[in-house]
Amino acid sequence: MGSLIAADLVIAVLAAAGWLGGGAAAAARRRLLALALAGFALLATVGRAVTVTALARAGWWFAAEKVLIAGPLTLAAVAVAVPRLLRAGDIRSVAVPLLFAGYAGSGALLVTVLHGYPASAGAGLLTVAGVLAATAVSWRVLGARPSGTVSRTAVAVAVGALVTGTGLAVAPAAAPAVTHDHRYEAAPEVGEPTRRFTLTAGTATVRVSGRDVEAWAFNGQVPGPELTATVGDVLEVTLRNRDIGRGVTLHWHGYDVPNSQDGVPDVTQDAVLPGQEFVYRFRADQVGTYWYHTHSVSDVGVRKGLYGVLVVRPAPATGVDVTVPVHTLAGLPLPAPRTEPVGAGTPVRLRLINTDSTTHRYALAGTPFRVAAIDGSDLRGPTPLADTAVLIPAGGRYDLVFTAPATPVALFVDGRAVYSTGPVSAETDAWPVLDPLTYGVAAPVPWSRFDKEFPLVLDRGLDLHGLLPRYAHTVNGAADPDIPTQVVRRGDVVRFTIVNRSLVVHPWHLHGHHVLVLSRNGKPATGSPLWLDSFDVRPGDVWEVAFRADNPGTWANHCHNLPHADAGMMLHLTYS
Amino acid sequence: MRKALVVVTTVSLFAYVLQFVFAAVGAFTKPAGDGAFALHSVTGMAVIPALTLLTVLFAVLAKAPGRLVGLALLPLGLVVLQALIAMLANSLTDASGGSTPFGLTVAGLHALNGIIAVHVVVAVHQGARKLAQPAPVAATRVAVREGEPA
Repeated sequence: MGSLIAADLVIAVLAAAGWLGGGAAAAARRRLLALALAGFALLATVGRAVTVTALARAGWWFAAEKVLIAGPLTLAAVAVAVPRLLRAGDIRSVAVPLLFAGYAGSGALLVTVLHGYPASAGAGLLTVAGVLAATAVSWRVLGARPSGTVSRTAVAVAVGALVTGTGLAVAPAAAPAVTHDHRYEAAPEVGEPTRRFTLTAGTATVRVSGRDVEAWAFNGQVPGPELTATVGDVLEVTLRNRDIGRGVTLHWHGYDVPNSQDGVPDVTQDAVLPGQEFVYRFRADQVGTYWYHTHSVSDVGVRKGLYGVLVVRPAPATGVDVTVPVHTLAGLPLPAPRTEPVGAGTPVRLRLINTDSTTHRYALAGTPFRVAAIDGSDLRGPTPLADTAVLIPAGGRYDLVFTAPATPVALFVDGRAVYSTGPVSAETDAWPVLDPLTYGVAAPVPWSRFDKEFPLVLDRGLDLHGLLPRYAHTVNGAADPDIPTQVVRRGDVVRFTIVNRSLVVHPWHLHGHHVLVLSRNGKPATGSPLWLDSFDVRPGDVWEVAFRADNPGTWANHCHNLPHADAGMMLHLTYS
Repeated sequence: MRKALVVVTTVSLFAYVLQFVFAAVGAFTKPAGDGAFALHSVTGMAVIPALTLLTVLFAVLAKAPGRLVGLALLPLGLVVLQALIAMLANSLTDASGGSTPFGLTVAGLHALNGIIAVHVVVAVHQGARKLAQPAPVAATRVAVREGEPA
C-alpha cells in the first residue's frame, strides 16, 4: 500500500510534466515532440485513474482529494486538450490547451502534497484560481489573445475562486484545541513510598564508543539510572533540574500512571526549570518493561539522552534479566556491546527497548525464544521462534525469554551485536520478521460495541496557523495546537481508526492507556490479544484499536517519532 | 527592467552554487542529524522558489520572448519535483529505516535533477544578457517571424 501511494505520486508527476512539456514543445512549434509528450501524458493520466481507483478501494481517506479535486481538474484538462490535439492544424494553437492540462495536473498534485486529507472546498477553489491564472498568463505571453468573453469569464471565475478559497482556507478551525487552564489534576494518595530515587537532569559529557559526547543526562549518565520495583512497592522519584534551560519532566512511557504523574508540560504539570524540582509518586502495580523520558522539548531532550529504564517485576528477579535500551546518541549506537557467560539451563529474559524515534530490528541468534510480553503486557500462548527477527517501534518494548543453551547466543540490533554470551557469527539480515498480530493464542475482544469512534488520518500538509508557515505532520488535516481534542466519558469504549496517508512510518502512542489491536488493513488480529502503547502505522496502513476510558484526565496522543510530534503530530484526549 | 532581469538571474545562479555547497555541508556534517540539511532545505524550498518567481516576473515585465519566460518558469516545476524526489527517497527505506538500493537510485535522481535545473538557470541568464544588449537586426527578424502562421 505504501508503494501504491508512492507510485501514484510518481505517475501524477509524470502526467503533469508530460502536459507541460507538450505545451512548451507546441509553443516552440516542435510538432512531433509535442504530440509524443501529450500522448505520454494521456497514458500517464489513464495510469493514474488505475492507481487512484486502487487507493479508493483501500480506503476513501487515501483517495478523497484525488477524486474530488484532481478528478474534475483532470477531466477538464483532457476534455480541453485532446479534441484540440486531434484537429490541430497549427501545433502552436494547442500550446495553451496543453499548458492548461499541465497546470491542472500540477495544481492537483500540489493539493495532494501540501493539503492532503480531508479534501476541502477552500483548497479546491484556490487550485482552480491558480490554474486559471496560470493559463491566462500563458495565453497572453504566447500572443494568441483569447476573445473578450472568454478572458472576462476566466478572470471572473479565477477571482471568485481566489476570494472564496482564501476565505475558506483562513477561516478559523471548527473546534478549539485543548485549553491549558493550568489547573492540573491533583495527585492521588498512594501511601508511604518504599522505593525512592532522585534524578537530576543536567548537561554532561559522556563517553560513547571512545568518543566524548555532549549530552543531557540524568545523574550524569546516559541512559539514566535503571529504576526497578517489585509489585506492591510505592515509587517516589524526585526530579531535579540543574541546568537544562528549556525545562524537563518525567513521562513514564507505557506505564499508566494517574494523570497528575504523567509528566506532560502544560497539560499535567509545569515543566521543571533549572533549580526547581518535582516529586512523582505512583504504585508499582503494573508488571513489565517500561521507560521514562523527558516530555519537555522531548524531540531534543530524549535524543540528547534524557531517558532511562523502568522495570516492575512480579518478584525479585531469578535467572538472568537483562535490559537492552537501544538509543542513538550523537549518531553513535547505545548500549555498548556486552558479553557475559551464562550457564546452560539458566532462564534468560531480554528486555528490549527502543528509545529512538525510528524502528529498530532485533535478531536473537543461537537459540529458540519466545516473545513473552510486548509493551509490558504478557502475551497469551507465545510459541517458540527461531531465526526470526522482531521490529520494535519507537518507544516500544519486547521481552524475549529463553533457556540458555550450552552454545553461545547473541542479540543483534540492526546487524550490530549488542548482547552475547559468547562469540556468535550469524547472518540475520535475511530472517523473516515476526508479525505480532498473528503470534500466540487469540482471545475474544472484551467489547461488542464502541461508544466513541475517532478517525486519525496521518499526513503532511502546509500549516498556516502559526507565526511562520510550516510543512507540518498533520492529523485529520490539522497540526498541533489546532487539532480538535478528543473528548470521552469515563467508562466509554473508544475506537481509533488510524490511517497513514503519508510516506513515512508513524509510531502511535496514546498516554495513560493501553489499546487493544482489533485489525490492521481490514484483517482482524488473530494472535494473542495485543495491548500496546506504541505501534508502527506504516505508510498505507489502517489500524483499528480500542480501549476502555478508565484513567481520567487530559492525555497526550501523538506520534512517537518525536520530530514529527514537534512538527504538529500531537493532539489530546480528555475526559468530560 | 532588462537590467533587473540580468541581476536577478545572476543572483539565482549564485543561489544555485550555494545550494550545491549546502548539499555538501549536509553530506559531510558529523554526526548526521536531522539538522544537517537545514540550510539546503531552506534554500531549496524558500530562497530558490522566490528567486524563480522574481525571475518570471521580471521576464514578463521586460517583455521577454515567450521562450525565455517559459524557460524561467521551468525551474519552478523542477524545484517541486526536487522536493518530491527527496521525499520519496527518504521514504523508500526498509522496515527499520535503513536505505535500500531502490531508494538510493531515486535519491540519485535528486542530483541529476539539480544539474538539469542549473543548466536551465544558466540558459535563462544567457537569454537575459542577450535581451539586455542592444537588439541586433537578426533578433528583430526572429521576433517578426514568430507572429506569422507557420
